[in-house]
Amino acid sequence: QQQQQQYRLSSIEDEKIYHLILELTHPVNREQALLELSKKREQFEELALVLWHSYGVMSALLQEIVSVYPLLAPSGLTAHASNRVCNALALLQCVASHPETRGMFLNAHIPLFLYPFLNTTSKTRPFEYLRLTSLGVIGALVKNDNTEVITFLLSTEIIPLCLRIMETGSELSKTVAIFIVQRILLDDMGLAYICQTYERFYAVGTVLSNMVHQLVDTLAVRLLKHVVKCYLRLSDNPRAREALRQCLPEPLRDATFAQALKDDINTKRCLSQLIFNLSDNGPAN
Amino acid sequence: PSARMPVQATTPTAAATAQQDATMEMVPNLNAFVTFNPPAFFNERPALKRLVHIAIERAVREIVTPVVDRSVTIAGISTREMIIKDFAMEPNEEKMRKAAHLMVQNLAGSLALVTCKEPLRVSMANIIRTLFLQNGFTDQNMPEQSILMTVNDNLDLACSVIEKAAMEKAIPEIEESLANAFNTRKKHRERTGQPYYDMATYQSSRYPASLPEPLRLKPTGLSPQQLRVYEDFARMPRQAIMPSTFEADRNVRTPLNVKADAGQGYPFNTNEHGYGSAPIPLSAHQALEKFVQIVSELDK
Repeated sequence: QQQQQQYRLSSIEDEKIYHLILELTHPVNREQALLELSKKREQFEELALVLWHSYGVMSALLQEIVSVYPLLAPSGLTAHASNRVCNALALLQCVASHPETRGMFLNAHIPLFLYPFLNTTSKTRPFEYLRLTSLGVIGALVKNDNTEVITFLLSTEIIPLCLRIMETGSELSKTVAIFIVQRILLDDMGLAYICQTYERFYAVGTVLSNMVHQLVDTLAVRLLKHVVKCYLRLSDNPRAREALRQCLPEPLRDATFAQALKDDINTKRCLSQLIFNLSDNGPAN
Repeated sequence: PSARMPVQATTPTAAATAQQDATMEMVPNLNAFVTFNPPAFFNERPALKRLVHIAIERAVREIVTPVVDRSVTIAGISTREMIIKDFAMEPNEEKMRKAAHLMVQNLAGSLALVTCKEPLRVSMANIIRTLFLQNGFTDQNMPEQSILMTVNDNLDLACSVIEKAAMEKAIPEIEESLANAFNTRKKHRERTGQPYYDMATYQSSRYPASLPEPLRLKPTGLSPQQLRVYEDFARMPRQAIMPSTFEADRNVRTPLNVKADAGQGYPFNTNEHGYGSAPIPLSAHQALEKFVQIVSELDK
């Protein structure tokens, strides 16, 4: 183990990474370092730990994030500025993904600094890219089952932000946003939270239903898959199940998506299970 | 803390009112800086000027408490965690304190500003309309254009009040949450004559000790070069953004912009040319590649 570590530290490629990480703390060299590190982040499995524990790096990344806030007024964000902050976000995504840094990342409330990015509405490309990358960080947090993450996200009300992106974002943003909502729903506490009041259920239900109607035209299968799984999970909750018996969108009941799903056995099965749950033979309330 | 800002302020409690009063006292001459657009329209109707003054003040009061509280809370937590970690081997509590203040003020001010801008824009216009309706205007003859222009021209002024309130409140907040860390350093030194090291934090992970030399914390404390990372919180926005001369001129009207000269200001108006020099367009291919990568990571 010791020897292995020694070997790792001495490799030239690692030296390069360490040098780049050090450069992150120097404003003049930071932009280039962000670019190169975000490209290399896959090659170095302990990058998250080094980023977190190296002096000043996380604070420098926070600087990168808040320095973009003044540009969030519509039309203020250039492609250049967006690219630069997205490279910083890519590094935060590493930290959010790694099991040994995720807890500290949450504990320091760093994800909240991304919410202003998710709250933007401009449709231009730099904004779209910024929202997508920010969603990627939140997505990395929820990727693994983790009650701590779900508690954090529920208490900071990420759901309304995701819902708006699910309605108005690009297809990719929608996919990541619904992925986050789906992961929250899969958690028992998350399902209970969303079904706790009619208003919350209604907000989620309305957005999902609008998505179904859009999907009739776009037939974006990946998105459809998530929509079906969200509905299926909602149907596990007795009150939501009762409401869905009244309001499940018609295209999910008839054969509208049969062709689109013909090769996707798993989603087809989920859809049948959903229809069954809502039928008279489904679980009683 | 709640991440969503209630746009409609709830009835303020006594404590909240006291805080709001304190907030407004920081800017007793706000009215002197309000601008009217178009000037001729308002100059002919001085009564409307007064209504605009009232509206701006009311809009700021409604929003200041929730925005400042939330921004200061989040900034305080993030700052505390970063400072505790990065200053674990720094025995000088004054260096630690200075870095914490610079960071928390920047984060709290930035969050407050980005959170309040759009809600304030909406609420200022709504309050002006309501006041105008109560004072002889009707929906038919409402000077909509003048309202929007006036709101637009005073938005930065109103935002800067909230930003300043957040920056000021952030100091006692971080002093409190780091009090223990500051005291321990001071007391240990006074009692033993030896520098204090936060070994519990330093040793909480195998990592800090195994990092290569330049990235590791050393018992000699932090170097001036390292401390610059935190000093940059005071310099940062001016480095990142170069407002055009026109905008710089325009900002002179704002009384709170003095802190821009201290390196803590934010350009309020930025445009496509505001950030960096030559923009590097994101190639479609590059963007798509990144999108697919993000999604495939998630969509397992």
